[in-house]
Amino acid sequence: MDAREDTVLSVEELRVSFGSGPDRTEVVRGLSYRLQKGKVLAVVGESGCGKTVHALSLLKLLPPGAEITEGRILYRGKDVLSLSAEALRKLRGAEMSMIFQDPMTSLNPIRTIGSQLVETILAHSTCSKLQAQARAVRLLKKVGIENARQRLNEYPFQFSGGQRQRIMIAMALCLNPSILIADEPTTALDVTIQAQILKLIKELQRQSGMAAVFITHNLAIVADIADEVLVLYGGYCVEQAAVEELFAAPKHPYTRGLLGSLVSLKRKETHLPAIEGYPPAPGTLQAGCPFAPRCPHVWDKCRASLPPLFERQGHKVRCWLVEKDEEPR
Amino acid sequence: MLRYILRRLLLLPLVALGVTFLLFFLTQRLSPEMRASLYIKDPRQMGALEEVIQKYGLRDNVFKQYGRWLNGALHGDLGYSHSANMPVSQAIKEYLPATIQLAVVTIILVVFFGVWFGVVSAVKKDKWQDVCARLISVGGFSLPIFVLGLLLLMVFYGKLGWFPPGGYSVSTDVMVHSPSFHSYTGFLLIDSLLNGNLRVFFDVLRHLVLPAVTLCIGSFALMVRVMRSSMLEELGKDYVRTARAKGLPERAVIYRHAGKNAIIPVITLAGIQFIRLLGGTVIVETIFDYPGIGRFGVTAAQQLDIAGIMGFSLMVAVLFVLGNLVSDVLYTAVDPRIKLSD
Repeated sequence: MDAREDTVLSVEELRVSFGSGPDRTEVVRGLSYRLQKGKVLAVVGESGCGKTVHALSLLKLLPPGAEITEGRILYRGKDVLSLSAEALRKLRGAEMSMIFQDPMTSLNPIRTIGSQLVETILAHSTCSKLQAQARAVRLLKKVGIENARQRLNEYPFQFSGGQRQRIMIAMALCLNPSILIADEPTTALDVTIQAQILKLIKELQRQSGMAAVFITHNLAIVADIADEVLVLYGGYCVEQAAVEELFAAPKHPYTRGLLGSLVSLKRKETHLPAIEGYPPAPGTLQAGCPFAPRCPHVWDKCRASLPPLFERQGHKVRCWLVEKDEEPR
Repeated sequence: MLRYILRRLLLLPLVALGVTFLLFFLTQRLSPEMRASLYIKDPRQMGALEEVIQKYGLRDNVFKQYGRWLNGALHGDLGYSHSANMPVSQAIKEYLPATIQLAVVTIILVVFFGVWFGVVSAVKKDKWQDVCARLISVGGFSLPIFVLGLLLLMVFYGKLGWFPPGGYSVSTDVMVHSPSFHSYTGFLLIDSLLNGNLRVFFDVLRHLVLPAVTLCIGSFALMVRVMRSSMLEELGKDYVRTARAKGLPERAVIYRHAGKNAIIPVITLAGIQFIRLLGGTVIVETIFDYPGIGRFGVTAAQQLDIAGIMGFSLMVAVLFVLGNLVSDVLYTAVDPRIKLSD
């Protein structure tokens, strides 16, 4: 199999910083990965580890003040970062589209959802307004909005949170993109709605065969939806592996900690294990491994220098333990 | 919605009653002799003072006198304005359209340029366009209106002769009062178009330019500021990011999405400014010798023309309530989340 053929998105040594001069804070520190056609990559991490910033940079949607300082983002071989404004506009929404965390604020409050769907379709295709409307109705039905035709003329405030996220999904999928970037799409929703939305995304993703970058802090979701997992910590990729591999044999102490803190019906603990301490605030990182201050297995080398990303049979880990384990050989 | 409007309109008589009674009560602090003497032009007729007092019942108690005024007002008789030498209702009919015309042109200029500059200023934050817009805005704030008015008059009339003062030129005056010119609305800008008389239209417009520009400046500065900050706030919101992520052209993101939300506070501001323009264009009307209602009000106050003052205040109160109502209703047109509840 030629991996290159199937790669729809490849991120190479991506670095993103906020601010400039002495206040400059790097939040994404040399992230690299490849996304194959039809596959789902989950990017996991705690708040502030650079997940969302990384997602926004894929479409060059970073807020003012944030800047991509290094690296390349290749969509089917095209460098996204060097595209012209018009080429970038055509890419957004049509080839690569995005769903955001908070459906309550992600739709324009004073325009009907119909007009917001239709304008998306019209921005990328030459069909008539009526055709676009018909398409919007079909999409809304597909994502499970009833009475779609009448509801086209309603405003976001007339929908519930779950319904709004369904509308966001319809909007993201209306041009059959090859990549969907979902930035914590279920975090702001009730648990029952979370499951529905997740199921919907999964179904639509499988049906259309699009690839997805799924950003979450919820490992339970990861097991459900992802093919591959990338764990972020302090802006670094600390572990990356196929989903079964990662759950079966997590190598990084942080990943183990995360998996250990999952609630399980089989175990009978009274206390849920947790990782001691807090993730590093951006800009406070010292030399060495970013996880060192919280790591149960920390030793001198961890504090002295940052471990490289070791790769063993496709399983990547940024931890000196890996090297230590293999030393006797 | 209809019920809301009706309820607000029910408030109108209350406001009008309150304002007029308060003013009437104040004028009663003057002795009946003083008030009667205002109607006597010739010092030799001073002997008729008592006669006037008796005739108009100036010694009756406040409520009785106010009741008489109110009764007249309800029948369309607001009394005789000795400062304008005509009945008050006729004075309002004659001067108000000119002021409304001026206020409408001004508010259109203010909103159009204010919103435009505000949007550019926000989108190009800290670039030269923003710096320019902010400088103009600060300048507009700090420039006294009469200084600007006189300067404009000196340059554009005194030196260049482009925009003369007054409401219209003599030839227009003749034309307007000729039997062939039909007065449909009392607004010369509209009437001239309805009569198909473009000469009158452009003449009136030409006389409007300087007062409108002068009136603009202060409100424009405020409008730019409000629009800029409102726009900056909207541009940082999630739905704007969504609009960009959908691949909309930047123009659509700015105008169709952020702009439409950012304009909501501007509507309230424009409403307030418009009402202020209707009642308070005195300085500008005086500088440009513009035949508007503001000058009528001031002259009435200066000459203690009680009927004139009462009529003017009543008119301002009514316009104020109506103006506020209109801006509230406009709100619902822009923002679907606002429902005027019954």
